[in-house]
Amino acid sequence: MEQLVFYSLGLGAVIGALGVVTAKNPILSVLSLLWTFFCLACVYLLIGFEFLAVAQILVYAGAIMVLFLFVIMLLNLGTSEAADFDTARAMGRRLPLVLLVGCTLAALSILAAQQVGGTSDEARADLRSVGSLTDLAQVMFGTYLLAFEAASILLLAGTVAVVMLAKRERRKNAA
Amino acid sequence: MVIVKRKQLTLGERLYLPEIVRGLSITVRKMFAKRATRQYPEEPLVTTAVTRGQPRLAMNPDQTLRCVSCGMCEAACPAYAITIDAHEVEREIEREPEHFEIDMLRCILCGFCEEACPKEAIWMSDELELADYTRASLVYKLDRLVRPVSQLQGRIDYIEEINRRWNN
Amino acid sequence: MTVLLATLLKVLVIFGCLISAAGISTLAERKISAWIQLRRGPNRVGPFGLLQPLADGIKFMFKEEFVPPGKSRFLFILAPALAAVPAMMSVAVIPFTGRIAEIDGTPILGSVADLDMGAIFIMAVSGLGVYGIILGGWASNSKYPLLGGLRAAAQMISYELSMILIILAIVAMSGTLNLREIADAQNDHTLLGFLPAWNVFLQPLAFVLFVICTFAETNRHPFDFAECESELVGGFHTEYSSMKFALFFIGEYCAMIVMACLTTTLFLGGASVPFWAEAPWFIGLGSFVFKAAAFMFLFIWVRWSLPRFRYDQLMALGWKVFLPLAITNIFITGLVLAL
Repeated sequence: MEQLVFYSLGLGAVIGALGVVTAKNPILSVLSLLWTFFCLACVYLLIGFEFLAVAQILVYAGAIMVLFLFVIMLLNLGTSEAADFDTARAMGRRLPLVLLVGCTLAALSILAAQQVGGTSDEARADLRSVGSLTDLAQVMFGTYLLAFEAASILLLAGTVAVVMLAKRERRKNAA
Repeated sequence: MVIVKRKQLTLGERLYLPEIVRGLSITVRKMFAKRATRQYPEEPLVTTAVTRGQPRLAMNPDQTLRCVSCGMCEAACPAYAITIDAHEVEREIEREPEHFEIDMLRCILCGFCEEACPKEAIWMSDELELADYTRASLVYKLDRLVRPVSQLQGRIDYIEEINRRWNN
Repeated sequence: MTVLLATLLKVLVIFGCLISAAGISTLAERKISAWIQLRRGPNRVGPFGLLQPLADGIKFMFKEEFVPPGKSRFLFILAPALAAVPAMMSVAVIPFTGRIAEIDGTPILGSVADLDMGAIFIMAVSGLGVYGIILGGWASNSKYPLLGGLRAAAQMISYELSMILIILAIVAMSGTLNLREIADAQNDHTLLGFLPAWNVFLQPLAFVLFVICTFAETNRHPFDFAECESELVGGFHTEYSSMKFALFFIGEYCAMIVMACLTTTLFLGGASVPFWAEAPWFIGLGSFVFKAAAFMFLFIWVRWSLPRFRYDQLMALGWKVFLPLAITNIFITGLVLAL
């Protein structure tokens, strides 16, 4: 039962991901990505990562994708540009590259899966212990507090840098 | 150039929340105030002698019409709503309308017909309701126009009172 | 098995009640607006007009369907569903009352799902409602709906931020994300000997901010820039007719109901009854419904009292006033908790 649900969710996620790159309409692309996020969130739920699932929906689906949609609509990408671009042909021409990247990614994920211990019961129990919010908080604000804070400062620096860059650009345009 | 002097807002006004509460208190008081609307079919409009409703023809207590088909109202009507066909009768007044039609869709309830009538035969009644499914049914014939004098007495007395005031 | 059946029953009952409550809210909206404007409101269909929502529903079904050409037909039809479903989904974690019964040692609680992160879940799911609005505005292939959709998106994202920060302060106080436990945490002691320890008394600033945020989050007057009749005709649902429009409508009212329930849970002690700690579950349910109904009344009352803001004022309020205040509130809460 769990396997069946997992595989159908995985299939859904893959179909959504394919939709992201093949859809002619950028809005449809965004929606496909949204669908993929949903399937992934459900997968997280399935393996007991409640917080990760909810955070995925809250942050990615609830905020970031809305911004994507926002930008696409404001730019109002005409269908003419998108229609000229034949995804299938473009991919066909780069088939070797696509295959190479795909195979590498697949191999990497298999390796990663084996690294964590695949689907063995101990590994699952191990994962599940981090799944609960309290444990996650303990790991984040206890064991890895320094790393967590460093990452947040890095993100903050990135945000400030982006704002500064965008600002300088505008001043140049004005002058 | 017009210089608009903006009112200096107090702190309470700038915080906006007290003003919101003030507005809300006004609306909640209005919720319990007396209703301004009327439940129309159940509570019809109050009419008085001054009410200038649809024109009606007066009928004497002996079941005869006062109208002599002189055509004064027809001529006075600014909306051309009145159409009269006369015929002769064996009575003192000798003439009576054979057909008397008022197109209620054209009538503007101005009361000129009432003023023009030399025989005190057409009066603005207190009837106001006018609704039907076809245009033809709103062209009122004699059968829907005639009212006993008693029913129009309030209006008749009121107009006579006015006339008396002007004639003296 | 019995537990499963009980849960199923709860789902059906709560869903049915939510939809009926949305219908009743539309009637309440019309009635209260009428009273405020010295009118009587709908009173022809059924006693006191109580069957008016039913008549409206039937009328909606027989209205002509219209799908504007040009943009995606699929998305146009999908949008109302996307707007309504999240609002209906998020009601699942609301703890309407305490423990109802116990079957085979499993307590049957007053919510469909007693999630450990109910507070985050509700924010995550209700935040998805914006997709329906933004897609509806886009798929209408018309300028005003597009503007309405974009406004709604910007507005909901801005205020969701403040909202989450306000909820965080509450979460920090009760030490849990579970909505039932947040509600219970407000009932275990009293303030100054007589006041129930509801968060509305402990966090008055957060309460005021949160209530105003719910107005912005549900696109409700005075922040209803997504529809904004005088500027954008009907906003994102200008091109919608028939049941598709009705679905937007139901979604909007469901979102309002969910927000009213959430405010009740977070700030008014949920299903608790003051001075009666051992109240049976149906009394608690009544108390919850009463509190939530009071918030629904506030929603309607404010709509018919205040003029609409200006869009830039709304954004300035969200980013320059609410966000700093919410962060300050978290700091103060943290300080008080630490001391």
